[in-house]
Amino acid sequence: MSMRLRLWVLAAGVLGTATLFVLACAELPGFGGTWHPYGDRAVHAALARHTANTIASVNFDQRALDTLGEESILFGSVLGTLVLLRQTRDERRLPPEPARVAPPVRRYALIALPVTLLIGLYVVAHGQLSPGGGFQGGVVVATSLHLLYIAIDYRALERIRPVGLYEVADAAGEAGYLLIGAAALLTGAAFLTNFLPYGTFNTLSSGGTVPLLNAAIGVEVAAGIVVLLARFLDQAVEIVSGRDEAEDET
Amino acid sequence: MTVARMLPLIVATPLFGAAVLVGAGRRLPRAAAEVLGLLFAAGTAALALAASAALPSSTARPVEWVGGWRPHGGASVGIVLVGDRTGLGLATLVSLLVPAALAYAWRYFDEPPRRHAASFPALVLLFQAGMCGFALTGDLFNAFVFFELMGVVAYALTGYRVEEARAVQGGLVFGVVNSLGGYTTLLGIGLLYARTGELGLAQIGRALDARPGGPDALVIAAFVLVATGLLVKAAAVPFHFWLADAHAVAPTPVCMLLSGVMVELGVYGTARVYWTVFAGPGGIPAPDAHRALLALGALTAVLGAVMCWQQRHLKRLLAYSTVAHTGLFLIGLAVLTPEGIGGVALYVLAHAGVKAALFACVGVLLDRFGSVDEHELHGKGRELPWVAGMFGIGGLALAGLPPFGTALGKAVTEEAAGGWATALFVAVSAVTGGAVLRAGARVFLGLGSRPPGSPEETTGEGEEPETRRLLARIPDSMLLVPTVLLACALAVGLVPGLRTAVGGAADAFTDHAGYLAAVLDGRTTEPAPTPAPHWTTPGVVWGLLATVLAGVLALLAVQRPVRGEPVRWTVPLRRLHSGHVGDYVAWFLAGVTLLAALLV
Repeated sequence: MSMRLRLWVLAAGVLGTATLFVLACAELPGFGGTWHPYGDRAVHAALARHTANTIASVNFDQRALDTLGEESILFGSVLGTLVLLRQTRDERRLPPEPARVAPPVRRYALIALPVTLLIGLYVVAHGQLSPGGGFQGGVVVATSLHLLYIAIDYRALERIRPVGLYEVADAAGEAGYLLIGAAALLTGAAFLTNFLPYGTFNTLSSGGTVPLLNAAIGVEVAAGIVVLLARFLDQAVEIVSGRDEAEDET
Repeated sequence: MTVARMLPLIVATPLFGAAVLVGAGRRLPRAAAEVLGLLFAAGTAALALAASAALPSSTARPVEWVGGWRPHGGASVGIVLVGDRTGLGLATLVSLLVPAALAYAWRYFDEPPRRHAASFPALVLLFQAGMCGFALTGDLFNAFVFFELMGVVAYALTGYRVEEARAVQGGLVFGVVNSLGGYTTLLGIGLLYARTGELGLAQIGRALDARPGGPDALVIAAFVLVATGLLVKAAAVPFHFWLADAHAVAPTPVCMLLSGVMVELGVYGTARVYWTVFAGPGGIPAPDAHRALLALGALTAVLGAVMCWQQRHLKRLLAYSTVAHTGLFLIGLAVLTPEGIGGVALYVLAHAGVKAALFACVGVLLDRFGSVDEHELHGKGRELPWVAGMFGIGGLALAGLPPFGTALGKAVTEEAAGGWATALFVAVSAVTGGAVLRAGARVFLGLGSRPPGSPEETTGEGEEPETRRLLARIPDSMLLVPTVLLACALAVGLVPGLRTAVGGAADAFTDHAGYLAAVLDGRTTEPAPTPAPHWTTPGVVWGLLATVLAGVLALLAVQRPVRGEPVRWTVPLRRLHSGHVGDYVAWFLAGVTLLAALLV
């Protein structure tokens, strides 16, 4: 296709799509109205089940099946990355070199690491009470470990990052969510029913199965992100193509 | 356990299987991983079959509110799964084809990722879960989530053979175009949510129906945007470009699933969303929906058939045949009657078997000879009589030879569509079936002359086999799977019980008010019954005619000397399929515009 034709098709498409979307947006309800049918119902349902964070109630109780799907998308993406970034026949591994790090960077990263880890764990644990939860906290936990790469070098990160264990944790998070969901079937309720006692409102143990499902997501996300980044970092730091080894070693 | 209770397990079982495989992956030897994957896939199939068998009638709609969030006064905060005959039937089809693909891939790959032998079966199980969830859900946002799950896994499976640059390119094109489709669908869902405050198909449908009198721009835009994502999956023109690029590079067992069921799920999604959300008084008027689907369908069928005939790369040939058949499915949907839906349902069932079997045969050629090029393989297939037979039968079934299910589906659909649609059905069937027969005649019978090489084209020569080395002997599993698949396609045409079941399923599928009442009010209403799909004399005659035409086309083609260059009038068409992602994006946006223009 010539550049000219491509641009004409693109121009027509952009113009048509934009017109359609702008016309549709003109029909949207006004901003800041009081009509929130789903929101009202969701808040009501969350309070009825003693879950202070309505978002967590939507994610892990009211629409828990969506979260299962989203968790599986992350799980599938990690697995897909593992397959696509694997070491192929014509590639080989070089042990990473020790690296020199500027002292201020090292000091900052070493101080930030435990703080970040603690915040991550806090965000996961308080998912049913305050903004955050397994998805957000899991990413923070995974990030904290990688501060070790910034503070010292790749070998230090590899020492605290046995990828095999994290893969097991990733799978355990996925399986845990499914098992908690299936446990409801034993009580005669539907899949993913919140079957545990709802507890006291606004305490750590409130919300029934919400904190458990939230924790399963936290484990899956933290481990999944570690594995995901490990694949990319391995490709960037360790794996070299067999043919160009002389160039890559310099 | 009731049928309704079983529905979430059809999604959860393969997900759990994937988790087990990944968790134990490092310790599992390859054979154990593959057996485990097969067991979980087959277990899911058993569940889906059991649920289908336990349906009280073909118009029943078991409804399961996940988490027990039953609606009060028609309102709920939860997600609903609906196990009507159509959704459950598709989940069953998916769950039967997945173990077939896994059995075909038995000890198949050259180089499983180091210490991750379980990753291929695990990805396929996730793919199965995504497809089953998409077929069963009654919630638009949840459908989007499963749509994305299917997509993410499919990109990785397409690019599986990363040693080749083309595989990565094919996976990338697939990912970019399908992700764009995902975004438009999400935009459309956002518009519907803003208007109605609901995410469930039935809830949105009821809320739209509360404002009857022609659709406004928002409703039209929402339909266009949601349908675009689904039509990308369905590979309708001009959203189809990714399909051939992905099929050409994906491992054969993955092609079987992509062409056999995933593309068809896009067609299903379009029909499901139309009938549940937009078929009421507040939705898209029937004449507009008819016009849009018919125009896209006819365009897709013709373009797919023309491109199919032009290919010499066998996987691309079969891929374009899938595009052409998607067009025929869309024409069937455009009729907007139970007859049309019933015909398409039978057609999809049989097409899955035939197309997967044909891909399986091509996979055998690839692994035996390291080529999927029609001319390069000239006469080499003589030593594989069984594969030759299946390839030929597959080509005839694709053309519409009675009593294959493809012929029945075509006959019922073309009768429902009527008029010139019959001519189009015959022509497209003859050309796509003829292309397969032509390739079969060259490869397996050695008919015609060997052509001079033409380096400019995508030839399919010099492909890497997907097995460890070129196969000296074809394993029985690779022969058994296509045989069983073809037998199933034949059974679709012959088993009378299936026709009555599909007839009832189509009645229920097109009953907008009945679906809403069953999901939101728990009220069962019987849809108006229509005659079940059945064989008719004209249908058999048209099917035979298409088959004969396909044979004649194939014979004429192999007798003519092969020209080094493609036919002149197809050159601009071939140039459009450039493999350039930017082109595909431009056509994608133009397609959104076209769809909107067809609706106003």
